[in-house]
Amino acid sequence: MGFLIRLPEVARLGGCAAGLLAMALAGCGSDSESGLDASTLAGLPWDSVVERARGSEVVWRLWRGDPAINSYVDEWVAPRLAERYDIRLRAVDGQGAELVNALVVEREAGARGGADLLWINGQTFHNLRREDLLQGPWAHALPSAAFVDSASTIVMRDFEQDLEGYESPWGRVQFALIYDTLRTPTPPRTVEELGRWIDEHPGRFTHDQSFTGMTFLKTLMYARAGGVERFEGGFDEDAYRVGRDSVFSWIEAHRDDFWREGNVYPSGVADLHRLFANGEVDFSMSNNENEAVTKARQGVLPESARPLVLREGTIANAHYVGIPFNAPNPAGAMVVADFLLSPEAQLEKRRPEVWGDGTVLDLDRLPDRWRARFDAIEDGPRAVPRDTLARYAVPEVAPEYHERLQEDWRRHVRDGG
Amino acid sequence: MTRATRFSALPSLRAWLVVLLAAWSLLPLVLLVVISVSGGWRFPSLLGADPGLDAWRSLRQSTGRLLPALYTSLGLGVGTGGLAAVLGLPIGRALSDLRGVWRFVGAGCAFLPVAAPPLALGVGLQYSFLRAGLGGSAVGVTLAHLIPALGYTSLFFLGVFAVFDRGVEAEARRLGAGGWQTLTRVTLPLLRRPLAEAFVLGFLVSWAQVPLTLLVGQGRVRTLTVEVLSWVQAGQDPLAAAGATLLVIPPLLLMGAAALGFQRAQVVAP
Amino acid sequence: MSSRSGRFGIAAAALLAAPVLVGALYAAAGALGLVGPGASGRPSLARAVRVLTEPTVVQGTLWILWVAGASTLLSGTVAGGIAVVLRGRGKLEGLGRGLAVLPLPVPHLVAAVGGLLVLGQSGLLARVGFHAGLIDGPAEMPALVYDPLGVGLILALTWKEVPFLTLVAVSVLGTRGDALERTARGLGAGAGDVFRRVTWPILWRGMLPAAVAVFTFVAGSYEAAVILAPSDPLPLPVLTWERFVDAGLARRADAYVLALLGLGIAAVAVAAHEIVRARLPGLDGGSQA
Repeated sequence: MGFLIRLPEVARLGGCAAGLLAMALAGCGSDSESGLDASTLAGLPWDSVVERARGSEVVWRLWRGDPAINSYVDEWVAPRLAERYDIRLRAVDGQGAELVNALVVEREAGARGGADLLWINGQTFHNLRREDLLQGPWAHALPSAAFVDSASTIVMRDFEQDLEGYESPWGRVQFALIYDTLRTPTPPRTVEELGRWIDEHPGRFTHDQSFTGMTFLKTLMYARAGGVERFEGGFDEDAYRVGRDSVFSWIEAHRDDFWREGNVYPSGVADLHRLFANGEVDFSMSNNENEAVTKARQGVLPESARPLVLREGTIANAHYVGIPFNAPNPAGAMVVADFLLSPEAQLEKRRPEVWGDGTVLDLDRLPDRWRARFDAIEDGPRAVPRDTLARYAVPEVAPEYHERLQEDWRRHVRDGG
Repeated sequence: MTRATRFSALPSLRAWLVVLLAAWSLLPLVLLVVISVSGGWRFPSLLGADPGLDAWRSLRQSTGRLLPALYTSLGLGVGTGGLAAVLGLPIGRALSDLRGVWRFVGAGCAFLPVAAPPLALGVGLQYSFLRAGLGGSAVGVTLAHLIPALGYTSLFFLGVFAVFDRGVEAEARRLGAGGWQTLTRVTLPLLRRPLAEAFVLGFLVSWAQVPLTLLVGQGRVRTLTVEVLSWVQAGQDPLAAAGATLLVIPPLLLMGAAALGFQRAQVVAP
Repeated sequence: MSSRSGRFGIAAAALLAAPVLVGALYAAAGALGLVGPGASGRPSLARAVRVLTEPTVVQGTLWILWVAGASTLLSGTVAGGIAVVLRGRGKLEGLGRGLAVLPLPVPHLVAAVGGLLVLGQSGLLARVGFHAGLIDGPAEMPALVYDPLGVGLILALTWKEVPFLTLVAVSVLGTRGDALERTARGLGAGAGDVFRRVTWPILWRGMLPAAVAVFTFVAGSYEAAVILAPSDPLPLPVLTWERFVDAGLARRADAYVLALLGLGIAAVAVAAHEIVRARLPGLDGGSQA
């Protein structure tokens, strides 16, 4: 009985403790920065933006999983920003949905922003724009924006969305399968040949569950349901259903011959690389056509790994940087974005021994000496020739296709297995 | 079979069990060291294609991530362990004063943060931490780690005080010692060893933590566990193995020190 | 007890439980659609009902409970066996116990990475098998990681939890077993009888609260599951994270429902733990007071 009598006491003490905790937690609220936002800064002379950025710190949230990208950012970009603009660049981890969630919660909580610059594209850009979590327009005001390949729909349309100055292009890549010339001297070149190859080599093919794997499925969707044209011009439910069903029927036709009978899928593309490198499967894949070469350089993939572009076309897309609504230092972020877009930074990033990330600049707009240096880049005999890539490049379609395909694949293929 | 032969068979059974235990406990750890110097560990190679210290070299690089992550983890571990030990002592003692059903309610409340899945806890608490301006800061992550760590140390001190002889304190007070004097001259010296053990416990909870660091650290607080997970998920196996090796060394040293201290205490004890 | 010290105790308990309750409250608000990504602002139970009846969620929850149960049982059995066989003050026994306890401070993450590298189809065992001529390639190695039964995950978690349960088992036998066994032998019981009637009951009762604790940690572990678990069924903690970072903003609030589910399982385990402790006499130093 004793504890019944003490219940009110507990309630009171519990309430006190919770109240104290809430007070402690709410103690230091947000301190709004007095600076100007990016769209206002975009109206100022560039020199004054640079002046405001001088001596500041820029926190950049980006995916930190690749040592090649990390050393480009930490060892090449950061020292130059420090030297030229006295900007201290802090690259911190975070990608995709994590960024959106953090910003939603930060806005709810009225918390101080934790990042000035974000590496984004596609679905993330879509969600950030829809929730009004990005500053803009500002990207058009960058001096280096004059060099951007503005005729390219792949660069200027992010999953069919207009950039509207809310994100600045940073790089472009193209999907490719990865195979091993020693194990597969004559690889399949079309979706149909791939299907036949899978049936003839049971257990030697799979794709991952995340972004790269879904891009592969979208490639199948284009190839089997009438080409990318059918899906262009915004999300269309009927087109989607036809496309999805054709993808799922392809999967069902070959699934028994997938790795582990298609009952298990590697969670990320790195897990797929691991299976490929260890000879558990004979194909990997990547959203970056140069990854077969750069990852071989890192020792992750075998030396005999090569990229492979299917004749039906493979998806090319671009990636961007954006400034979140609560960025403490938008001026610094703009200066960093401009530097990332400069011919010098784009050239370094493009070199296969650095990262091998495609440029978003139009080489014809560059001063001759820069153009010549881009032309002089040797991709080596292992890369897919550039004109081949261009010939087979197909664009991304509205982000809803990606989202729906991912959801339906999880529900009907993976979980329904 | 006679009784005697059965007993003589036993030592060799024990010896085999010890050998088996050595393989079971040590093999994964030795393998991590091997892979960290393998320069790429692809089937069917046992030792790696290109053995070398590449993964470890990033320890010395100014822009490498292994060493900063190690320091971050050590700092968070020491901070969490210290706070969890110092706060766990009075909390555990207060819990040990509870009687009857309340005793179990108190222990349950201490067990709750220990049992709560860190990911679920982090998803629920992310808002409160960001709201308080603690997102992405070492202080915030320390406080987040303190939630489970304090649960552990409180339970630990609950056990300690269950057998603690409070007569000693009463005796000190009877002899004229004030509350502070009793605490610093009598209680704390008696509890030096449990305090050290509680510190180790809190350190280990923080050291191993992943989801709370991810959700509260906002990508800015990069502990060794978070880096290792990100290397595993990026397919950088030698780096992940080097990081995992580093993750094992400090806890083993701490446990070794604790075990040594225990033996010494036994020797000293009358 | 004096009411003052009792009040301190209750305040201490409230302080410890508060962060979990705050987290649960926010997750509940998120589950109802009041806060978080994609919040509508109007409370509704529709999401909770939909998520909790999804086959994926039900299977993922049952699966993690299976893994937790299996690894708890396995590590408990191994630990109990070690404690019984390696009793005594001999050097060999001491060495064996030391080796068994060695992985105690190793993080779960490292246990999982080790599990992947040892047990994977191209892992150490497969390589040894290949060089020994037992298999011709990774495909012939039995699938122990990403496998629907979770064998690799169970083994990795067992590796991680055996040390803790061994410590508990050794201490249970040391504090309560020795004296009772002597008494039983003194009364003329044979070796088998002593084990069956004395050692075994003391051991399992003494280990029960620790086993409940291990079960709870394992059921909530994220980092081991994300490295070793299959994609179908997807374990609850991994599913929680997948929904939390879903491409579709609207589905992210599902994670709040799943977080509540995880916290609910933990709460049940805590209650079970306390009930077990309350029912088993002599486990708690203060309960006789």
